[in-house]
Amino acid sequence: MRLLDLSRVSVVALRVVRQLKRDRRTIGLITFAPILLMILFGYALSGEMSGVSLGLVDYGGHAVLKSHLEGIKDFNILYLGSESDAEKQVYEGRLNGAVILRPGEVRVLLDATSLQISNAIQAAVEAGASGERASFQKGPENIVVMRYIFGYDLEMMDTVGPAILGLVVFFFTFINAAISFIRERSQGTLEKFMVSPLSRVEMVSGYVLGFSLFTLLQSTTTLLVVTIGFGVPMRGNPLTALAVVLLLGAGALVLGSFFSNFARSEFQVVQFIPLIITPQIVLCGVWWPLQSVPEFIRPISYILPLTYASDALRAVMLKGASITDILYPDLLALSTFFLFFFVAATLMLRREVA
Amino acid sequence: MAGNGDEPAVSARGLSKSFGRLRALNDLSVDIPRGVTYCLLGPNGSGKTTFIRAIVGLLSLDGGDLRVLGEPVARVKEIYSRIGYMTQHKALYPDLTLQENMEFFAGLYGIERSESWRRITRLLEMVNLQEHRNRLAGDLSGGMYQRLSLACTLIHEPELLLLDEPTVGIDPRLRQTFWEYFDLLTRQGKTVLITTHLMDEAEKCKIVGYMRSGKMAAVGSPEEIKRLAGLRPCLELWLKELEKDAAQLRAEGYELQICKGVVQLRLESPEQIKRVLAEVTPLDMRLKEPTLEEAFLRLSEAS
Repeated sequence: MRLLDLSRVSVVALRVVRQLKRDRRTIGLITFAPILLMILFGYALSGEMSGVSLGLVDYGGHAVLKSHLEGIKDFNILYLGSESDAEKQVYEGRLNGAVILRPGEVRVLLDATSLQISNAIQAAVEAGASGERASFQKGPENIVVMRYIFGYDLEMMDTVGPAILGLVVFFFTFINAAISFIRERSQGTLEKFMVSPLSRVEMVSGYVLGFSLFTLLQSTTTLLVVTIGFGVPMRGNPLTALAVVLLLGAGALVLGSFFSNFARSEFQVVQFIPLIITPQIVLCGVWWPLQSVPEFIRPISYILPLTYASDALRAVMLKGASITDILYPDLLALSTFFLFFFVAATLMLRREVA
Repeated sequence: MAGNGDEPAVSARGLSKSFGRLRALNDLSVDIPRGVTYCLLGPNGSGKTTFIRAIVGLLSLDGGDLRVLGEPVARVKEIYSRIGYMTQHKALYPDLTLQENMEFFAGLYGIERSESWRRITRLLEMVNLQEHRNRLAGDLSGGMYQRLSLACTLIHEPELLLLDEPTVGIDPRLRQTFWEYFDLLTRQGKTVLITTHLMDEAEKCKIVGYMRSGKMAAVGSPEEIKRLAGLRPCLELWLKELEKDAAQLRAEGYELQICKGVVQLRLESPEQIKRVLAEVTPLDMRLKEPTLEEAFLRLSEAS
């Protein structure tokens, strides 16, 4: 017997092609997912930023720099009366940064928990200042002072670390939950549940509870790696961070349960990764700030749970925020997301089990 | 418990259910009395599984009236603890042990731990799996898996047991054990409704309902159904001079056919045997009772 018989190879190849031809979804995915992903990555990586909110306190003396900043269309300038007001607003996260213009001095207040944004603000101020030097040859030397409200000591890993924690939990919980529910369906246990005193709400709740234990374990280990291994700071209460992750995990579970209705096999669950997981990675503001996501896609960012989870985790870990600081909008959004898909998943279970 | 007692375990009147253009249930009416083994027999696609799933409320009917244990099917949810349902899927967790699987189902029905341990032991003995108690269900063979599935279905001691092809892949000896257990259950007043397409299984049931195209084509005890199909016992004769003797019997007015050198003769009554023996002297002879299979073949040809 020959080791490699081409006719046998072609028999196998033909069978594979036949099977794939019948699976229209896979063909669609193979064709369209790369297009979708390239668009998302392309936009996010294009580096253009818009919607950066910058405070401006004008004590006089820098007309050229001021008009330079005002001329940048991607910055939303907010005029403020005092430096302390500007500092407060940056501290509360309502501004991405602020510029204080004083005769002879320019102070820049930065929030470096998002490195790309603070870099963009720095670059804009420096460009404006050098323009000013060019137009007033003899003018007094301007001193540009950078002051970090947050993150003067942060590295790239520090700013993305908290979000990676959320991402890991979301990814694994979603996939595991979807596969578990597919199994319940295909091995017939779901049908048995339907004919037992167990209610649908009890079933989904049981899953949330069981999975939460694993989420807790997973997030604790990930948290330890991120903080001890990579030195990402933990300025807030670790329990608050765990609470955020648990809420995110519960949301991922009910989302996975909901989407399991649209897959017929474990194989098809894997196909959800590019469709549901990857957009979250690109659009949640972890690798690139939301401000660099093109505006027409940004509404999507605001419905993705990872956007809120990574915002909350950054606030807790890097800024030392307490649970009340992240109640709105982060915890509210995560809770809403969870409740919405909890109800949706429960209702989907009600459909006649085919 | 409302409506208990004399009402049939399942009472169906004029049930209909369509899937697209396929009429899965077509004006199906039947009563399944309590305390019997009742067999739903019929070819694939005749509506057996659809009927069972309608009984447990897993699909909504297009029309008709269905009562389960005296309750309208719309309220069947409230009596799920009194119903045991074994699907054609084995409906178990391969990554749990036998014990864990059974504990899980016992838990769903709120059975206390000590009680559930007792029941698990008894049921595992019944299905002859006690020595595998701590093995993973996924490691069991097909037949063992099937047995475990039955044991899980019985854990809450349901009044009405619905078994969709329960004995597929089970060896004859164990199948016998199953039937003995079903008889025990019916003696305790429980009702066992079984679907099968195996005739020898149907023969063991008290009542057989033969389904065709979504309705009951015939209902009765196995004997009644054979009579209904007009089947009589058959006398098989091995003759010395086949052609000559056969011609002689035909001349006497007997209805017979020759199959592989054997004369098969339908008997009107047992007394006929004597008269036949007066005509010919066979080398050997055998009396064959009609089978349920023949009855159903006859019935389906007739309709």
